[in-house]
Amino acid sequence: MFLKFSSRFFALALLATSSVQAQDGMDHSMHMNHNMPMGDSLAWRMVPMGDLSMPMMPGMMDDYPEVGPMLPGHGMDISMFSEARPSEIIDMADGDTLHMDASLVRRTIGGQEYVMMAYGGMYPGPLIRADRGSKVIVEFTNNIEMPTTVHWHGLRLDNAFDGVPGVTQDPVLTGETFTYELKFPDTGMYWYHPHMREDVQQDLGLYGNMLVNPTEEDYYAPVNREVPLILDDILVDANGLVPYGDSAPTHALMGRFGNVMMVNGVTDYNLDVAAGEVVRFYLTNVANTRTFNVLFGGARIKVIAGDVSKYEQEQFVSSVVIAPAERYIVDVYFDEDRTYEITNTIQAVDHFRGVFVPQISVLGTVSATSGAVSDQETYETDFLEVRQNEDTQADIESFAQYFDKTPDHSLRLTVEVNNLHMMTMRMMEIDTLYVAPIEWNDTMPMMNWLSTGEQVDWVLLDEATGEKSMEINWDWKVGDVRKIRLFNDPKSFHPMNHPFHVHGQRFVVTHVDGVPVENKAWKDTVIVPVGSTVDILVDVTNPGQWMAHCHIAEHLHAGMMLSFNVSE
Amino acid sequence: MFTLILTLLTALFSTGPATPAANLAIPATHLTACSPDYYSIKLVTTRKVTGARLATGKGEVTYASSPFGVSISENGSYVQNIDIQVEKVKLAEGSSLVAWITTPQLDQIKPIGRLDDTFHVSGQTDWNKFLLVITLEPANEELGDMWTGPVVVRGMSRSGLMHTKAGHGPFETEPCAVYGY
Repeated sequence: MFLKFSSRFFALALLATSSVQAQDGMDHSMHMNHNMPMGDSLAWRMVPMGDLSMPMMPGMMDDYPEVGPMLPGHGMDISMFSEARPSEIIDMADGDTLHMDASLVRRTIGGQEYVMMAYGGMYPGPLIRADRGSKVIVEFTNNIEMPTTVHWHGLRLDNAFDGVPGVTQDPVLTGETFTYELKFPDTGMYWYHPHMREDVQQDLGLYGNMLVNPTEEDYYAPVNREVPLILDDILVDANGLVPYGDSAPTHALMGRFGNVMMVNGVTDYNLDVAAGEVVRFYLTNVANTRTFNVLFGGARIKVIAGDVSKYEQEQFVSSVVIAPAERYIVDVYFDEDRTYEITNTIQAVDHFRGVFVPQISVLGTVSATSGAVSDQETYETDFLEVRQNEDTQADIESFAQYFDKTPDHSLRLTVEVNNLHMMTMRMMEIDTLYVAPIEWNDTMPMMNWLSTGEQVDWVLLDEATGEKSMEINWDWKVGDVRKIRLFNDPKSFHPMNHPFHVHGQRFVVTHVDGVPVENKAWKDTVIVPVGSTVDILVDVTNPGQWMAHCHIAEHLHAGMMLSFNVSE
Repeated sequence: MFTLILTLLTALFSTGPATPAANLAIPATHLTACSPDYYSIKLVTTRKVTGARLATGKGEVTYASSPFGVSISENGSYVQNIDIQVEKVKLAEGSSLVAWITTPQLDQIKPIGRLDDTFHVSGQTDWNKFLLVITLEPANEELGDMWTGPVVVRGMSRSGLMHTKAGHGPFETEPCAVYGY
């Protein structure tokens, strides 16, 4: 349905969205009276408190965020929006052009209808599939009522098309079009998303994958099928989507955890396979802040590749830990005739009770039935083999001389706050005995919700210069190999894990807490747990003005980003 | 008076050797360069064992090797390497130090292993909250399920410090019993 060069589709899309634009129903007027429900106007309501019941903190129950509430499409007749369609694969050859817009759509999730956003009218956005080394054009049109851009996450593309407002381009205003030129130098799975108010736009559905196929024979082991899995969550209550902050994000301390899990945009994801199949899953975490620990119901998992390359060697794992913006390619062997639950299996922290709480959330299912695979090739032998990826080994080994170099830059990941609610300040001061390396769940829904981007500054502190976040603009040259040491300060006001993303370049993680990493892969995003020191080695190949930042949407908007310039 | 107390405290917590014996632990060369201090476990003497009354030690906690940077078990727990180094101990002939890991409730106990002649041993755990217990055991006997000798030093994981807020601070009016305490 979604066609390259499809003027018919494009015309339909414009028709569908033009009526949306004419209404312009976003309510910007509520900032001044946001604490008072007034008829049909949007008002703050109590945020869901999650599944770890705890008493409301005295003095906080009547509080609301310091910013006003905002929900795209609020107050509009939901039937006027087109129902979003499931994602489709768009195969693109070198030089092809894709017309794609962002628009408001109607979505039905868990039986409830919502006004959300979509690229190309799809959830997730269309999967762009192309060969390594190819270049394609995306003519993007903004049909939502907010300025936006598209960032092509992980691609080492030309700087002008990186999609960073104020750095590589101006925001794409409503009704405007921007032409992106994409190139795909690295095999693997990538994704695209807005780089403006990701906490709203990405959360509402603006995300999609790009699958870059290898050009080499036998690049990956053979499998029965390949399946993209996009992991996400949204925060809803009985009245619908919990509003977002209008002038700044809410949930600035921990990010906006959702309470409804989704795989590929649905809550009831199921994949039918034949027992005995090996399935290659391409996992992408597009959640605002949630890190997932993914299991496949006891099926064996072998990790093949990370963000930007294969691993030096394939590796069997018991689960897949995937932070926001990371991707992993894993092969999973469904050898039994049964249903396998895809789960997010974590040890949540209940700070009130001071205990860990095992939690298993079912994300979807894989139904393996007998009989069919006998007519197909079986890839059990290939699955059980652990491949040594000599191409990746040779590539990474060529940087071995730099693994132990003194860091060129040392960043301390910390936070500064101002004018937070008194009870939040008091609780945070009291609750310093233990901070988990990774926040798997929203341990303090009320305090988190009340913290906004206007009160919280997440900081990347350059230890050498004292510069903070966007005061930093490192000067690099093409051909440099830069080591960055990331230290996540556990003694800051509110320590939290951060997925650190570098635009336009690739890096390997050389050390975690001083321990050399045994099995490396090229990446663009790495999780930095609380208290940890993570060393990354950046292969500087791509000229231009670039960003690096925490990929928790609310942390990014609370300032946790820096820039670096790469000269020719 | 103050000077006397200071002198006593200095003697108790001195980092100097307890005795000049030749088999005192060597410096902690096994410890990783920058393992996270926040989660490291300070091992504190019980002062009950002759030759180890001033013993000190540390349990360094790092993630087990993983392609994901952090190592997480199937049940969602952190899989952590524990690198134990004890110092300022003089062992009697025929005795050894053994490291154990146990839950705060002491309802599960596992041996990590016998410390080597530099008083070092490494192990791994995926427990959320735990205690490290170093005991004095006969050198030539097989380890059982539970220590038999006296505890020399012990320490608790950082996560073990986490406890209920019911009845404390802003929640002082919350009845602890409601929450199982």
